[in-house]
Amino acid sequence: MSGDAVIVCKGVGKRYGRKWIVRDIDLEVRAGELLGLIGPGGHGKSVLLRLLAGLATPDEGEVRVRGKNLADIDPFELAELRREYGYLFQNYALFDFMSVADNVAFPLRQAGGVEEPEIARRVKERLEQLGLGEALDRFPSELSGGMKKRVGMARATIGEPAIVLYDDPSAGLDPVTSSKIFRLVRTMHHSQDDVASVVVSHDIDRMKVICDRYVMIFEGKVLFDGPEEAIEGADPMVGKFFFGSLGQSSGAS
Amino acid sequence: MNGALKSLASSVGGAVLAIAETIGGAVTLLFRILRALFPPRYDAEGVWRSFYNVGVKSYPIVVMTALFVGAIMVIQTAFYVKKTGATGIIGYGVGFSVFAEIGPILIGLMFSGRVGANNTAELGTMVVTEQVDALRALAIDPLPYLVVPRFLAMLGMLTLLMVLGDLFAIVGAALTAQLLVGFHWRVLVADLLQSRLLDEFTMGLVKAACFGISISCISCYFGLAVRGGATGVGRAVNNSVVSNATAIFVIDFVVGYLYSL
Repeated sequence: MSGDAVIVCKGVGKRYGRKWIVRDIDLEVRAGELLGLIGPGGHGKSVLLRLLAGLATPDEGEVRVRGKNLADIDPFELAELRREYGYLFQNYALFDFMSVADNVAFPLRQAGGVEEPEIARRVKERLEQLGLGEALDRFPSELSGGMKKRVGMARATIGEPAIVLYDDPSAGLDPVTSSKIFRLVRTMHHSQDDVASVVVSHDIDRMKVICDRYVMIFEGKVLFDGPEEAIEGADPMVGKFFFGSLGQSSGAS
Repeated sequence: MNGALKSLASSVGGAVLAIAETIGGAVTLLFRILRALFPPRYDAEGVWRSFYNVGVKSYPIVVMTALFVGAIMVIQTAFYVKKTGATGIIGYGVGFSVFAEIGPILIGLMFSGRVGANNTAELGTMVVTEQVDALRALAIDPLPYLVVPRFLAMLGMLTLLMVLGDLFAIVGAALTAQLLVGFHWRVLVADLLQSRLLDEFTMGLVKAACFGISISCISCYFGLAVRGGATGVGRAVNNSVVSNATAIFVIDFVVGYLYSL
Protein backbone atom coordinates (compact mmCIF):
# COMPACT_ATOMS: atom_id res chain seq x y z
CA MET A 1 0.00 0.00 0.00
CA SER A 2 1.55 3.33 -0.96
CA GLY A 3 0.68 6.70 0.47
CA ASP A 4 1.93 10.28 0.19
CA ALA A 5 5.12 11.13 -1.64
CA VAL A 6 7.99 11.28 0.87
CA ILE A 7 10.73 12.10 -1.63
CA VAL A 8 10.11 14.05 -4.81
CA CYS A 9 12.77 14.63 -7.48
CA LYS A 10 12.17 17.27 -10.11
CA GLY A 11 14.48 17.60 -13.10
CA VAL A 12 17.39 16.24 -11.10
CA GLY A 13 20.78 16.04 -12.76
CA LYS A 14 24.24 15.20 -11.49
CA ARG A 15 27.50 15.35 -13.33
CA TYR A 16 31.10 14.49 -12.57
CA GLY A 17 33.35 16.76 -14.56
CA ARG A 18 31.58 17.35 -17.86
CA LYS A 19 29.81 14.02 -17.93
CA TRP A 20 26.21 13.91 -16.80
CA ILE A 21 25.65 10.75 -14.79
CA VAL A 22 21.92 11.30 -14.38
CA ARG A 23 19.76 14.01 -15.92
CA ASP A 24 16.14 15.18 -16.04
CA ILE A 25 15.08 12.74 -13.36
CA ASP A 26 11.49 13.12 -12.18
CA LEU A 27 10.68 10.64 -9.47
CA GLU A 28 8.48 10.12 -6.44
CA VAL A 29 9.05 7.76 -3.55
CA ARG A 30 5.87 7.13 -1.59
CA ALA A 31 5.27 6.09 1.99
CA GLY A 32 4.61 2.37 2.34
CA GLU A 33 5.98 1.33 -1.05
CA LEU A 34 9.00 -0.75 -1.92
CA LEU A 35 10.46 0.86 -5.01
CA GLY A 36 12.98 -0.93 -7.20
CA LEU A 37 15.56 1.22 -9.00
CA ILE A 38 16.64 -1.02 -11.83
CA GLY A 39 18.82 -0.72 -14.89
CA PRO A 40 22.11 -1.91 -16.30
CA GLY A 41 25.32 -1.27 -14.39
CA GLY A 42 26.99 2.13 -14.87
CA HIS A 43 23.79 3.98 -15.77
CA GLY A 44 23.43 6.09 -12.61
CA LYS A 45 21.29 4.13 -10.14
CA SER A 46 23.63 4.43 -7.17
CA VAL A 47 24.29 8.10 -7.91
CA LEU A 48 20.54 8.70 -7.91
CA LEU A 49 20.25 6.88 -4.58
CA ARG A 50 22.94 9.14 -3.10
CA LEU A 51 21.00 12.14 -4.37
CA LEU A 52 17.84 10.82 -2.69
CA ALA A 53 19.76 10.54 0.60
CA GLY A 54 21.30 14.00 0.33
CA LEU A 55 24.78 12.46 0.22
CA ALA A 56 25.32 14.16 -3.12
CA THR A 57 24.01 17.53 -4.24
CA PRO A 58 22.27 17.77 -7.62
CA ASP A 59 23.82 20.06 -10.23
CA GLU A 60 20.36 20.82 -11.55
CA GLY A 61 16.82 20.26 -10.35
CA GLU A 62 15.80 19.57 -6.76
CA VAL A 63 15.29 16.72 -4.35
CA ARG A 64 12.53 17.40 -1.82
CA VAL A 65 12.05 15.30 1.27
CA ARG A 66 8.75 15.95 3.03
CA GLY A 67 8.54 19.13 1.02
CA LYS A 68 11.98 20.44 1.97
CA ASN A 69 14.57 21.00 -0.74
CA LEU A 70 17.72 19.25 0.47
CA ALA A 71 19.93 21.83 -1.22
CA ASP A 72 18.28 24.77 0.56
CA ILE A 73 18.15 23.61 4.17
CA ASP A 74 20.88 24.29 6.74
CA PRO A 75 23.16 21.48 7.97
CA PHE A 76 21.24 21.07 11.24
CA GLU A 77 17.94 20.70 9.41
CA LEU A 78 19.58 18.27 7.01
CA ALA A 79 20.89 16.27 9.97
CA GLU A 80 17.37 16.18 11.42
CA LEU A 81 15.98 14.92 8.10
CA ARG A 82 18.69 12.31 7.85
CA ARG A 83 17.50 10.80 11.12
CA GLU A 84 14.52 9.62 9.08
CA TYR A 85 16.83 7.64 6.80
CA GLY A 86 18.39 4.24 6.88
CA TYR A 87 21.02 3.49 4.25
CA LEU A 88 22.54 0.17 3.34
CA PHE A 89 25.78 0.81 1.48
CA GLN A 90 26.95 -1.33 -1.40
CA ASN A 91 30.29 -1.99 0.34
CA TYR A 92 28.68 -2.36 3.78
CA ALA A 93 30.46 0.74 5.21
CA LEU A 94 30.63 -0.85 8.65
CA PHE A 95 32.86 0.95 11.14
CA ASP A 96 35.79 -1.42 11.37
CA PHE A 97 36.92 -0.16 14.79
CA MET A 98 33.60 -1.17 16.35
CA SER A 99 32.12 -4.56 17.14
CA VAL A 100 28.98 -5.73 15.35
CA ALA A 101 26.84 -4.79 18.36
CA ASP A 102 28.39 -1.31 18.55
CA ASN A 103 27.92 -0.79 14.80
CA VAL A 104 24.23 -1.60 15.07
CA ALA A 105 23.78 0.39 18.28
CA PHE A 106 25.55 3.40 16.81
CA PRO A 107 22.50 5.18 15.31
CA LEU A 108 20.55 4.78 18.54
CA ARG A 109 23.42 6.06 20.70
CA GLN A 110 23.99 9.03 18.44
CA ALA A 111 20.31 9.92 18.31
CA GLY A 112 20.15 9.83 22.12
CA GLY A 113 17.11 9.38 24.30
CA VAL A 114 17.34 5.59 24.55
CA GLU A 115 18.79 3.97 27.69
CA GLU A 116 21.74 1.62 27.27
CA PRO A 117 19.88 -1.56 28.44
CA GLU A 118 17.12 -0.82 25.94
CA ILE A 119 19.71 -0.28 23.18
CA ALA A 120 21.35 -3.61 24.04
CA ARG A 121 17.96 -5.37 23.98
CA ARG A 122 16.98 -3.89 20.62
CA VAL A 123 20.36 -4.61 19.05
CA LYS A 124 20.27 -8.23 20.20
CA GLU A 125 16.71 -8.64 19.00
CA ARG A 126 17.45 -7.14 15.56
CA LEU A 127 20.60 -9.18 15.07
CA GLU A 128 18.80 -12.37 16.07
CA GLN A 129 16.05 -11.52 13.59
CA LEU A 130 18.74 -11.34 10.91
CA GLY A 131 20.40 -14.56 12.03
CA LEU A 132 23.39 -12.85 13.62
CA GLY A 133 22.69 -13.49 17.29
CA GLU A 134 26.10 -15.12 17.72
CA ALA A 135 28.06 -12.32 16.07
CA LEU A 136 27.43 -9.54 18.59
CA ASP A 137 31.01 -9.24 19.81
CA ARG A 138 32.73 -9.95 16.54
CA PHE A 139 34.37 -7.29 14.39
CA PRO A 140 33.50 -6.60 10.73
CA SER A 141 36.83 -8.03 9.57
CA GLU A 142 35.77 -11.39 11.01
CA LEU A 143 32.53 -11.59 9.02
CA SER A 144 31.65 -12.94 5.57
CA GLY A 145 30.17 -10.68 2.88
CA GLY A 146 26.63 -11.87 3.54
CA MET A 147 27.00 -11.33 7.27
CA LYS A 148 28.35 -7.84 6.71
CA LYS A 149 25.34 -7.06 4.52
CA ARG A 150 23.01 -8.22 7.27
CA VAL A 151 24.86 -6.14 9.88
CA GLY A 152 24.57 -3.16 7.53
CA MET A 153 20.89 -3.90 7.20
CA ALA A 154 20.48 -4.09 10.97
CA ARG A 155 22.27 -0.75 11.36
CA ALA A 156 20.16 0.85 8.61
CA THR A 157 16.88 -0.23 10.18
CA ILE A 158 17.52 -0.28 13.95
CA GLY A 159 16.30 3.29 14.36
CA GLU A 160 13.07 2.39 12.57
CA PRO A 161 13.58 5.03 9.89
CA ALA A 162 10.76 6.21 7.66
CA ILE A 163 12.91 5.96 4.52
CA VAL A 164 15.27 3.07 3.89
CA LEU A 165 17.63 3.04 0.91
CA TYR A 166 19.37 -0.19 -0.08
CA ASP A 167 22.28 0.18 -2.49
CA ASP A 168 22.66 -3.10 -4.34
CA PRO A 169 22.05 -5.41 -1.39
CA SER A 170 23.11 -8.50 -3.33
CA ALA A 171 26.38 -7.11 -4.72
CA GLY A 172 29.15 -9.66 -4.47
CA LEU A 173 26.98 -12.32 -2.85
CA ASP A 174 26.20 -15.84 -4.01
CA PRO A 175 22.65 -16.55 -5.30
CA VAL A 176 21.48 -18.26 -2.11
CA THR A 177 22.70 -15.47 0.14
CA SER A 178 21.27 -12.89 -2.31
CA SER A 179 17.82 -14.45 -2.09
CA LYS A 180 18.07 -14.44 1.70
CA ILE A 181 19.08 -10.77 1.70
CA PHE A 182 16.15 -9.80 -0.56
CA ARG A 183 13.74 -11.69 1.68
CA LEU A 184 15.16 -9.76 4.62
CA VAL A 185 14.64 -6.49 2.74
CA ARG A 186 10.99 -7.41 2.36
CA THR A 187 10.75 -8.42 6.03
CA MET A 188 12.34 -5.16 7.15
CA HIS A 189 10.04 -3.18 4.89
CA HIS A 190 6.91 -4.80 6.29
CA SER A 191 8.09 -4.70 9.91
CA GLN A 192 6.88 -1.08 10.20
CA ASP A 193 3.98 0.83 8.76
CA ASP A 194 4.45 3.39 5.99
CA VAL A 195 8.14 2.84 5.41
CA ALA A 196 9.34 4.08 2.03
CA SER A 197 12.00 1.67 0.79
CA VAL A 198 14.14 2.05 -2.32
CA VAL A 199 16.25 -0.86 -3.54
CA VAL A 200 18.91 -0.44 -6.19
CA SER A 201 19.77 -3.62 -8.03
CA HIS A 202 20.12 -5.16 -11.45
CA ASP A 203 19.07 -8.51 -10.01
CA ILE A 204 15.62 -8.48 -11.60
CA ASP A 205 14.58 -12.00 -10.64
CA ARG A 206 14.94 -11.24 -6.95
CA MET A 207 13.54 -7.71 -7.27
CA LYS A 208 10.37 -9.12 -8.83
CA VAL A 209 9.63 -10.96 -5.60
CA ILE A 210 9.70 -7.90 -3.38
CA CYS A 211 9.05 -4.63 -5.26
CA ASP A 212 5.74 -2.80 -5.67
CA ARG A 213 6.97 -0.45 -8.39
CA TYR A 214 9.99 -0.09 -10.64
CA VAL A 215 11.93 2.84 -12.00
CA MET A 216 14.34 1.91 -14.74
CA ILE A 217 17.35 4.16 -15.23
CA PHE A 218 18.98 3.91 -18.62
CA GLU A 219 21.86 6.14 -19.68
CA GLY A 220 21.14 8.41 -16.74
CA LYS A 221 17.46 8.95 -17.52
CA VAL A 222 14.19 7.46 -16.35
CA LEU A 223 13.11 5.02 -19.04
CA PHE A 224 10.25 3.49 -17.12
CA ASP A 225 8.25 4.21 -13.98
CA GLY A 226 5.46 1.88 -12.97
CA PRO A 227 4.45 -1.58 -11.77
CA GLU A 228 5.40 -4.80 -13.53
CA GLU A 229 2.01 -4.93 -15.29
CA ALA A 230 2.76 -1.66 -17.13
CA ILE A 231 5.97 -2.92 -18.72
CA GLU A 232 4.23 -4.33 -21.77
CA GLY A 233 3.31 -0.89 -23.06
CA ALA A 234 6.70 0.63 -22.27
CA ASP A 235 9.86 1.12 -24.32
CA PRO A 236 11.00 -2.28 -25.68
CA MET A 237 14.30 -1.81 -23.86
CA VAL A 238 12.46 -2.09 -20.54
CA GLY A 239 10.92 -5.43 -21.42
CA LYS A 240 14.25 -6.62 -22.75
CA PHE A 241 15.92 -5.72 -19.47
CA PHE A 242 13.10 -6.92 -17.27
CA PHE A 243 12.36 -10.23 -18.92
CA GLY A 244 15.64 -10.78 -20.71
CA SER A 245 19.18 -10.31 -19.55
CA LEU A 246 20.23 -6.89 -20.83
CA GLY A 247 23.11 -5.60 -18.77
CA GLN A 248 22.51 -8.00 -15.93
CA SER A 249 26.02 -9.26 -15.93
CA SER A 250 27.46 -5.87 -15.07
CA GLY A 251 27.66 -4.47 -11.57
CA ALA A 252 25.16 -2.03 -10.23
CA SER A 253 26.09 1.62 -10.57
CA MET B 1 62.04 26.18 -27.25
CA ASN B 2 58.63 27.73 -27.01
CA GLY B 3 57.12 24.32 -26.23
CA ALA B 4 59.74 23.60 -23.58
CA LEU B 5 59.05 26.95 -21.91
CA LYS B 6 55.34 26.30 -21.97
CA SER B 7 55.89 22.88 -20.45
CA LEU B 8 58.13 24.37 -17.74
CA ALA B 9 55.59 27.10 -16.97
CA SER B 10 52.85 24.51 -16.85
CA SER B 11 54.82 22.31 -14.42
CA VAL B 12 55.72 25.23 -12.16
CA GLY B 13 52.18 26.57 -12.30
CA GLY B 14 50.76 23.14 -11.51
CA ALA B 15 53.07 22.75 -8.53
CA VAL B 16 52.24 26.23 -7.21
CA LEU B 17 48.52 25.51 -7.56
CA ALA B 18 48.92 22.17 -5.77
CA ILE B 19 50.77 23.85 -2.87
CA ALA B 20 48.15 26.62 -2.70
CA GLU B 21 45.39 24.03 -2.73
CA THR B 22 46.98 22.08 0.13
CA ILE B 23 47.61 25.17 2.24
CA GLY B 24 44.12 26.48 1.50
CA GLY B 25 42.52 23.13 2.28
CA ALA B 26 44.43 22.62 5.53
CA VAL B 27 43.84 26.21 6.73
CA THR B 28 40.13 26.00 5.88
CA LEU B 29 39.96 22.74 7.81
CA LEU B 30 41.70 24.42 10.77
CA PHE B 31 39.06 27.16 10.86
CA ARG B 32 36.27 24.60 10.63
CA ILE B 33 37.86 22.66 13.51
CA LEU B 34 38.18 25.80 15.65
CA ARG B 35 34.53 26.61 14.97
CA ALA B 36 33.50 23.07 15.88
CA LEU B 37 35.33 23.32 19.22
CA PHE B 38 32.81 25.83 20.61
CA PRO B 39 30.38 24.81 21.89
CA PRO B 40 31.89 21.37 22.45
CA ARG B 41 29.85 18.82 20.51
CA TYR B 42 32.48 16.24 19.79
CA ASP B 43 32.54 12.62 20.80
CA ALA B 44 34.22 12.34 24.24
CA GLU B 45 34.94 8.65 23.80
CA GLY B 46 36.51 9.36 20.42
CA VAL B 47 38.73 12.02 22.02
CA TRP B 48 40.04 9.56 24.63
CA ARG B 49 40.54 6.91 21.97
CA SER B 50 42.54 9.39 19.90
CA PHE B 51 44.62 10.47 22.91
CA TYR B 52 45.49 6.83 23.51
CA ASN B 53 46.26 6.06 19.86
CA VAL B 54 48.23 9.24 19.31
CA GLY B 55 49.98 9.60 22.66
CA VAL B 56 50.38 6.30 24.43
CA LYS B 57 51.23 4.39 21.28
CA SER B 58 53.74 7.03 20.18
CA TYR B 59 55.80 7.38 23.33
CA PRO B 60 58.23 4.50 22.59
CA ILE B 61 59.28 6.06 19.29
CA VAL B 62 59.60 9.49 20.92
CA VAL B 63 61.68 8.11 23.80
CA MET B 64 63.96 6.25 21.42
CA THR B 65 64.40 9.31 19.18
CA ALA B 66 65.06 11.54 22.18
CA LEU B 67 67.68 9.20 23.66
CA PHE B 68 69.59 9.22 20.38
CA VAL B 69 69.19 12.98 19.90
CA GLY B 70 70.74 13.58 23.33
CA ALA B 71 73.49 11.07 22.66
CA ILE B 72 74.36 12.51 19.25
CA MET B 73 74.48 16.06 20.57
CA VAL B 74 76.92 15.06 23.32
CA ILE B 75 79.18 13.32 20.83
CA GLN B 76 79.14 16.33 18.51
CA THR B 77 79.65 18.88 21.31
CA ALA B 78 82.31 16.84 23.10
CA PHE B 79 84.68 17.14 20.16
CA TYR B 80 84.85 20.94 20.47
CA VAL B 81 84.72 20.90 24.25
CA LYS B 82 87.75 18.61 24.40
CA LYS B 83 89.56 20.64 21.79
CA THR B 84 88.99 23.95 23.56
CA GLY B 85 88.87 22.66 27.12
CA ALA B 86 85.60 24.51 27.70
CA THR B 87 83.93 21.71 29.66
CA GLY B 88 81.51 24.20 31.16
CA ILE B 89 79.57 24.59 27.93
CA ILE B 90 78.75 20.96 27.25
CA GLY B 91 75.47 21.11 29.16
CA TYR B 92 74.51 24.39 27.53
CA GLY B 93 75.38 23.13 24.05
CA VAL B 94 73.40 19.96 24.44
CA GLY B 95 70.44 21.64 26.13
CA PHE B 96 70.20 24.49 23.67
CA SER B 97 70.25 22.31 20.58
CA VAL B 98 68.02 19.60 22.03
CA PHE B 99 65.36 21.88 23.51
CA ALA B 100 65.19 24.46 20.76
CA GLU B 101 66.01 22.78 17.47
CA ILE B 102 67.02 19.17 17.00
CA GLY B 103 64.63 17.72 19.55
CA PRO B 104 61.45 19.36 18.23
CA ILE B 105 62.35 18.76 14.58
CA LEU B 106 63.28 15.11 14.93
CA ILE B 107 60.45 14.26 17.31
CA GLY B 108 58.04 16.19 15.07
CA LEU B 109 59.22 14.27 12.00
CA MET B 110 58.97 10.91 13.75
CA PHE B 111 55.53 11.80 15.07
CA SER B 112 54.43 12.94 11.64
CA GLY B 113 55.70 9.70 10.08
CA ARG B 114 53.90 7.53 12.59
CA VAL B 115 50.76 9.42 13.53
CA GLY B 116 50.20 11.71 10.53
CA ALA B 117 50.66 8.99 7.92
CA ASN B 118 48.52 6.57 9.91
CA ASN B 119 45.83 9.20 10.29
CA THR B 120 45.71 9.94 6.56
CA ALA B 121 45.56 6.23 5.74
CA GLU B 122 42.80 5.62 8.31
CA LEU B 123 40.61 8.50 7.17
CA GLY B 124 41.31 7.76 3.51
CA THR B 125 40.26 4.15 3.97
CA MET B 126 37.12 5.31 5.73
CA VAL B 127 36.35 7.52 2.74
CA VAL B 128 36.86 4.85 0.09
CA THR B 129 34.91 2.23 2.07
CA GLU B 130 32.03 4.72 2.44
CA GLN B 131 32.34 4.84 6.24
CA VAL B 132 32.43 8.63 6.14
CA ASP B 133 29.30 8.65 3.99
CA ALA B 134 27.74 6.22 6.47
CA LEU B 135 28.34 8.76 9.23
CA ARG B 136 26.70 11.47 7.16
CA ALA B 137 23.80 9.16 6.35
CA LEU B 138 23.38 8.64 10.09
CA ALA B 139 23.13 12.41 10.57
CA ILE B 140 26.61 12.67 12.08
CA ASP B 141 28.95 15.41 10.95
CA PRO B 142 32.32 13.73 10.29
CA LEU B 143 34.20 16.85 11.40
CA PRO B 144 33.39 16.79 15.14
CA TYR B 145 33.26 13.01 15.16
CA LEU B 146 36.46 12.17 13.28
CA VAL B 147 38.61 15.26 12.90
CA VAL B 148 38.23 17.25 16.14
CA PRO B 149 39.29 14.36 18.43
CA ARG B 150 42.39 13.80 16.29
CA PHE B 151 43.20 17.52 16.32
CA LEU B 152 42.93 17.73 20.11
CA ALA B 153 44.94 14.55 20.57
CA MET B 154 47.77 15.61 18.25
CA LEU B 155 47.96 19.10 19.71
CA GLY B 156 47.90 17.92 23.32
CA MET B 157 49.94 14.77 23.03
CA LEU B 158 52.75 16.10 20.83
CA THR B 159 53.28 18.93 23.33
CA LEU B 160 53.38 16.44 26.22
CA LEU B 161 55.56 14.06 24.26
CA MET B 162 58.00 16.90 23.64
CA VAL B 163 58.41 17.33 27.43
CA LEU B 164 58.99 13.59 27.71
CA GLY B 165 61.37 13.77 24.76
CA ASP B 166 63.40 16.59 26.36
CA LEU B 167 63.69 14.56 29.55
CA PHE B 168 64.89 11.46 27.75
CA ALA B 169 67.25 13.48 25.57
CA ILE B 170 68.96 14.63 28.75
CA VAL B 171 69.09 11.01 29.94
CA GLY B 172 70.58 9.96 26.60
CA ALA B 173 73.09 12.80 26.77
CA ALA B 174 74.08 12.03 30.35
CA LEU B 175 74.54 8.33 29.64
CA THR B 176 76.63 9.02 26.55
CA ALA B 177 78.71 11.61 28.38
CA GLN B 178 79.42 9.17 31.17
CA LEU B 179 79.90 5.97 29.19
CA LEU B 180 81.38 7.02 25.86
CA VAL B 181 82.85 10.50 26.01
CA GLY B 182 84.49 10.54 29.41
CA PHE B 183 82.59 13.39 31.07
CA HIS B 184 80.87 12.84 34.37
CA TRP B 185 77.13 12.97 33.86
CA ARG B 186 76.72 15.28 36.85
CA VAL B 187 78.88 17.90 35.17
CA LEU B 188 76.64 17.86 32.14
CA VAL B 189 73.38 17.98 34.08
CA ALA B 190 74.60 20.67 36.48
CA ASP B 191 75.80 22.79 33.57
CA LEU B 192 72.52 22.29 31.77
CA LEU B 193 70.49 23.34 34.80
CA GLN B 194 72.64 26.42 35.34
CA SER B 195 72.28 27.46 31.72
CA ARG B 196 68.68 28.67 32.25
CA LEU B 197 67.31 27.42 29.02
CA LEU B 198 63.69 28.15 29.85
CA ASP B 199 63.22 30.20 26.66
CA GLU B 200 64.60 27.37 24.54
CA PHE B 201 62.45 24.86 26.40
CA THR B 202 59.26 26.90 25.86
CA MET B 203 60.25 27.51 22.24
CA GLY B 204 60.40 23.74 21.78
CA LEU B 205 56.95 23.38 23.30
CA VAL B 206 55.52 26.14 21.11
CA LYS B 207 57.01 24.41 18.09
CA ALA B 208 55.54 21.09 19.23
CA ALA B 209 52.08 22.63 19.59
CA CYS B 210 52.35 24.20 16.13
CA PHE B 211 53.56 20.89 14.68
CA GLY B 212 50.61 19.15 16.32
CA ILE B 213 48.19 21.59 14.72
CA SER B 214 49.78 21.35 11.28
CA ILE B 215 50.18 17.55 11.33
CA SER B 216 46.54 17.07 12.33
CA CYS B 217 45.17 19.52 9.75
CA ILE B 218 47.35 18.31 6.88
CA SER B 219 46.87 14.60 7.57
CA CYS B 220 43.10 14.96 8.02
CA TYR B 221 42.83 17.14 4.92
CA PHE B 222 44.59 14.57 2.73
CA GLY B 223 42.69 11.70 4.34
CA LEU B 224 39.28 13.20 3.76
CA ALA B 225 40.15 14.31 0.21
CA VAL B 226 41.01 10.77 -0.96
CA ARG B 227 39.53 9.74 -4.28
CA GLY B 228 39.95 6.54 -6.19
CA GLY B 229 40.34 3.52 -3.92
CA ALA B 230 43.56 1.99 -2.64
CA THR B 231 45.74 3.91 -5.10
CA GLY B 232 44.18 7.14 -3.89
CA VAL B 233 44.91 6.25 -0.28
CA GLY B 234 48.54 5.52 -1.09
CA ARG B 235 48.90 8.81 -2.97
CA ALA B 236 47.27 10.71 -0.12
CA VAL B 237 49.60 9.18 2.48
CA ASN B 238 52.60 10.07 0.34
CA ASN B 239 51.41 13.67 -0.09
CA SER B 240 50.61 13.91 3.60
CA VAL B 241 54.09 12.78 4.70
CA VAL B 242 55.87 15.15 2.31
CA SER B 243 53.61 18.10 3.18
CA ASN B 244 53.93 17.49 6.91
CA ALA B 245 57.71 17.32 6.74
CA THR B 246 57.81 20.55 4.73
CA ALA B 247 55.41 22.24 7.16
CA ILE B 248 57.57 21.18 10.12
CA PHE B 249 60.65 22.88 8.65
CA VAL B 250 58.72 26.02 7.74
CA ILE B 251 57.13 26.26 11.21
CA ASP B 252 60.48 25.61 12.86
CA PHE B 253 62.01 28.45 10.89
CA VAL B 254 59.14 30.88 11.59
CA VAL B 255 58.96 30.16 15.34
CA GLY B 256 62.75 30.25 15.64
CA TYR B 257 62.86 33.59 13.84
CA LEU B 258 60.08 35.06 15.99
CA TYR B 259 61.90 34.00 19.16
CA SER B 260 65.08 35.62 17.89
CA LEU B 261 63.45 39.05 17.54
